[in-house]
Amino acid sequence: MISLHHYLTLATVVFACGVLGVLFRRNLLIIMMSVELMLNAANIAFVGASTALANLDGQIMVFFVMTVAACEAAVGLAMVIAIYRRYGTIMTDFLRTLRG
Amino acid sequence: MGLSLEQLTGWLAGVDEFWIQLAATIVKFIVVLLISLHVPPLMVWAERRIPALMQRRKGPNRVGIFRFRLFGLMQPLADTIKLIFKEEVVPDTAHKFFFHLAPVFVIFPALLVITAVPFGHPVTLGGYIFPMSVTRVDVGFLFVLAISSIAVYGISLAGWASNNKYSLLGGLRASAQMISYEIPLGMSLIPIVLIYGTLDLNEIVMQQQNVWGVFLAPISFVLFVVCMFAETNRAPFDMAEGESEIVAGYLTEYGTFKFSAFFLGEYVGMFTLSCLAATFFFGGWQIPFVSYETLVQISGSSLVASLIGMMVLLVKAAFFMWLYIWVRWTLPRFRYDQLMSLGWKFLLPLALANVVITAAVLVALQASRL
Amino acid sequence: MAEVIVFYSIASLLVFCSIMVVTRKNPIASAIYLVGALFLVAAVFAFLGADFVAAIQVLVYAGAIMVLFLFVIMLLNIDPELLKSPPMTAGEAAVLILTILSFIVISVTVFKGQLVAPVGELTTQEIAKNGGNTAVIGLALFMKYVWPFELASFLILLAIVASVVIAKKDKKKLTGDQADAERNMVGDLR
Repeated sequence: MISLHHYLTLATVVFACGVLGVLFRRNLLIIMMSVELMLNAANIAFVGASTALANLDGQIMVFFVMTVAACEAAVGLAMVIAIYRRYGTIMTDFLRTLRG
Repeated sequence: MGLSLEQLTGWLAGVDEFWIQLAATIVKFIVVLLISLHVPPLMVWAERRIPALMQRRKGPNRVGIFRFRLFGLMQPLADTIKLIFKEEVVPDTAHKFFFHLAPVFVIFPALLVITAVPFGHPVTLGGYIFPMSVTRVDVGFLFVLAISSIAVYGISLAGWASNNKYSLLGGLRASAQMISYEIPLGMSLIPIVLIYGTLDLNEIVMQQQNVWGVFLAPISFVLFVVCMFAETNRAPFDMAEGESEIVAGYLTEYGTFKFSAFFLGEYVGMFTLSCLAATFFFGGWQIPFVSYETLVQISGSSLVASLIGMMVLLVKAAFFMWLYIWVRWTLPRFRYDQLMSLGWKFLLPLALANVVITAAVLVALQASRL
Repeated sequence: MAEVIVFYSIASLLVFCSIMVVTRKNPIASAIYLVGALFLVAAVFAFLGADFVAAIQVLVYAGAIMVLFLFVIMLLNIDPELLKSPPMTAGEAAVLILTILSFIVISVTVFKGQLVAPVGELTTQEIAKNGGNTAVIGLALFMKYVWPFELASFLILLAIVASVVIAKKDKKKLTGDQADAERNMVGDLR
């Protein structure tokens, strides 16, 4: 039968994909999409735990995580637009003005 | 063939309820699919004959099979045959995968939403209760709103994948319009949820037995109808496919079958929203002043009474489809900035005020069923 | 039995979509696969009986946030030539393998773990008795969690104002030395 372990493992695998995306991709937009993927993996873990522990807090948490993710996506994308306007690129190779 | 009726019913009684409900769902799905896929050809015909009548001319009435002209009902058939057999031209520089994927995103939400619409009273047949919607979703109302926001992808993908400046402009404008009007659409339905105290579409219809929703929430009705037009990109909100402005907008590069797929998606979307308008505001499958029990007594069978309910819903949906056509051929098109300021600066505050006032009235009258 | 089949098909599709999100070169392909992944996550929520969050997931994530992503990708209109990245160095490949291995170890540990948290009382039957999933969540949001709820709305307002301010076109144009310096800096790095 499908138990909490299955859901947590699924969440871990999806989270791993997100982490790999953030580490290895250079396109800012794809990095942001990987972050969304990580947030969703956390949401799966929350809802799985909420059902397994017969507690509603997990689903309430998911509600707030979604809200915060929406705000973060909006502000992040606005910053991507501003970066593109200023530097002409969104590849992280060239965004180095804070470096060293 | 030594299978007698007693043996069949005996076997059926032993089958798990799950399989019976599954079989019933498949039957309902096929019926609903057939009904909604027959709507676009009828709409194509209606779209040309009704304005013709309104403009005191005749409209297409020449196409016929074996001398049966049938008021030009063969015209959509001829159009469809032409569209299927024409050669399809795909631009060389278009992004192939998304070009072919875009029509899917337009048809899929419309057909998915219509599975939640209740077509009649739950039927009691042989001891089992079969709900008359293809799926029984507890959060039906949220499901409807959620899936209808997927239709935006079809249009923006179509505009972008065509690799054509006008298509991209048209696609982005249409998507911006659709997402701007989704908010007042959802908010205009919140008073309905407040009044009826349930998200389940079946329950909302059942509670409209004595008073229709349109009398309890008139502003919601007006808002819903306006946003309904904007969501399906129909006049006066058809900036995206504005025929005289940017060629065909996001549809410019689409020929033949995909073009008809987009129009199929659009008309099925219109039919879906018409059914929803009838469900939320006009009492769904209920006949005014006739209760379900009376119908069962008259017809003698629960199934026949529910099918009568289905016919009633289709008539109400047909009224809204006629409204679509009437408004399209009467009003001029909105300019893009007028459209956006209408959505954000007028409809959204009005929807919010509507929610607050309805909630206040309900609390004052202590009439909420929540 | 049916439960197992449904779960594994949703899960395998979800893993496939997630891998596709991070490996596609074209950002629009990534975005479409992410929409698919979000839909599948909503399916997982619905499978777990959390109807409300499933519907909200499709409504907010797949229906609004991803549209925003798609808009930005289309508006930025990036030349696909510039999307090609240099081949992976040996160090990067080592990090990749190490990360994958460590996540395999973590997944196995999680799968074999033991549940030690205290179990509450809101089982599926209890929820159905109290008016359904949405009703219970609504009551919790407006009674026990009303402060975070109101603060979340304030946060959304902040985000709206912030994104409008950040993405607005700068009225003053960079002229003269400052503009040349900017352009040269980016030009050197290409």
